[in-house]
Amino acid sequence: MRTVKKAKLLRLHFGEADQYQGKPLYEAIVNRCKELKIAGATVLRGLEGYGETAEIHRHRLTRKDQPIVITIVDSPENVERLIPEVEAMMDTGVIAASDVECVRIENPPAGRTDHDTTTP
Amino acid sequence: MLQKGAAKKVTIFINEDTQHHLGSLCDCILSFLLHKGVSGATATRAMAGFGAHHVMHTTKIEVLSEHLPIRIEFIESAEKVDELMPALYDMVNDGVIEVQDTEIVKIANKQRPAPPAGPHAELRGRARLMRIYLGESDRWQGEPLYEAIVKRLRLMEIAGATVYRGILGYGAKGHTHKGGRMPFSRDLPVMISVVDAEAKLAKALNEIEAMMQDGLIVFSDVDVIRLVHSRPEPESSDANR
Repeated sequence: MRTVKKAKLLRLHFGEADQYQGKPLYEAIVNRCKELKIAGATVLRGLEGYGETAEIHRHRLTRKDQPIVITIVDSPENVERLIPEVEAMMDTGVIAASDVECVRIENPPAGRTDHDTTTP
Repeated sequence: MLQKGAAKKVTIFINEDTQHHLGSLCDCILSFLLHKGVSGATATRAMAGFGAHHVMHTTKIEVLSEHLPIRIEFIESAEKVDELMPALYDMVNDGVIEVQDTEIVKIANKQRPAPPAGPHAELRGRARLMRIYLGESDRWQGEPLYEAIVKRLRLMEIAGATVYRGILGYGAKGHTHKGGRMPFSRDLPVMISVVDAEAKLAKALNEIEAMMQDGLIVFSDVDVIRLVHSRPEPESSDANR
C-alpha cells in the first residue's frame, strides 16, 4: 500500500561533541522528537566537515567531533512545532527545511518467508 | 558499439575444411566480421556432429577428424546484421546460417571508449532526489534490503545511489534503531539517497515498493549542477564504472 502526501524535511547540522544537559545533543533531540510525537528522525554521522567557526570537524584520537545531520520528515504543522523546540536546544548549527513529497510504504508481511524486521 | 536491449544473434554452422578463395572459410568469415567492425565473434570447434550430407564428423575416426563442425557466433544490432547478411550469404556455400532475436542485458567493457551520449549525460538542470528510509536489518530474499535496492537501481541504470548508515533513529514502527554491542544484533537506521530524472525515479519507486515491507520514501526537487563521467585511465584496469 502506498500513501503519497506533501511533507516537510528538516535537517539539523551540528557536531557530535555538542551536548545538551550532559547528554549528546543528537540523543537529546531524538528524545525530544519522540516526546513531541514527530513521525521519525534519523541521525547520520558525516566523515568530515566544517561550519560556522571554520573548525574542521573530524574524528581525532582525543576528541570525537564528526559532523552530525539529523533528518526529520513530518507534516508541515509538526515541523513548524518542532523548530522552536530544537532552536532552544541547539547552541550553534544549521537548521534547514525543504518541501518534499512523502511516500509511505506499508506492505503486509504475508508472502514473506523471513521476518527479520521484528527486533525488540 | 553494442547497446543494451534488442539485438540479433547470428550463428553460422560450417565445416572446418570448407574452403573459400584458397583459405579456410572460418578464417575468412572471422576476418570479414573483424573488418566490418562487428563488436565480437566466437568460433568454436565441435566434438562431433553431422549436417545435410548425413555424414558423422567425429574425432573418433581419424580420417574424418579433419571435417569437424565449426560454429561461429556473433551478436549485433538488427541493422548491422542486415548489412552483413548479403556478404555472409554469399560466402557460406556449404553450411547453415541462423538468425535469432536476442536481448543484451549487460555490456561490460573495461576500457570504455568515451561514450558520446551515455545514459546519464543529459542529466543537467532539474532533477529529483529520492531518499529511502529503512532499517539495517530489513531483508529481501535473504540479503540486506539496502544492498538489494542498490543492485536493482544499478540494473535500472539509475545515475547513482548512496547508502548512509545512521547512528540513532526511530520511525513509524516506534522502536528506536540503535547499535548494539554485537554487530549481528544491531538494527541501525539506513538512508539511501538517489538522484535522477523524475521519470526514471518513478519507475524505480514501483520496483522498490514491491521489495519494501515497511518504510518511508521522500521526494524533493533538486538542481543538479553537474554530472561528470569518471573515465578510468587505460592503465588502471580496475573500477570500470
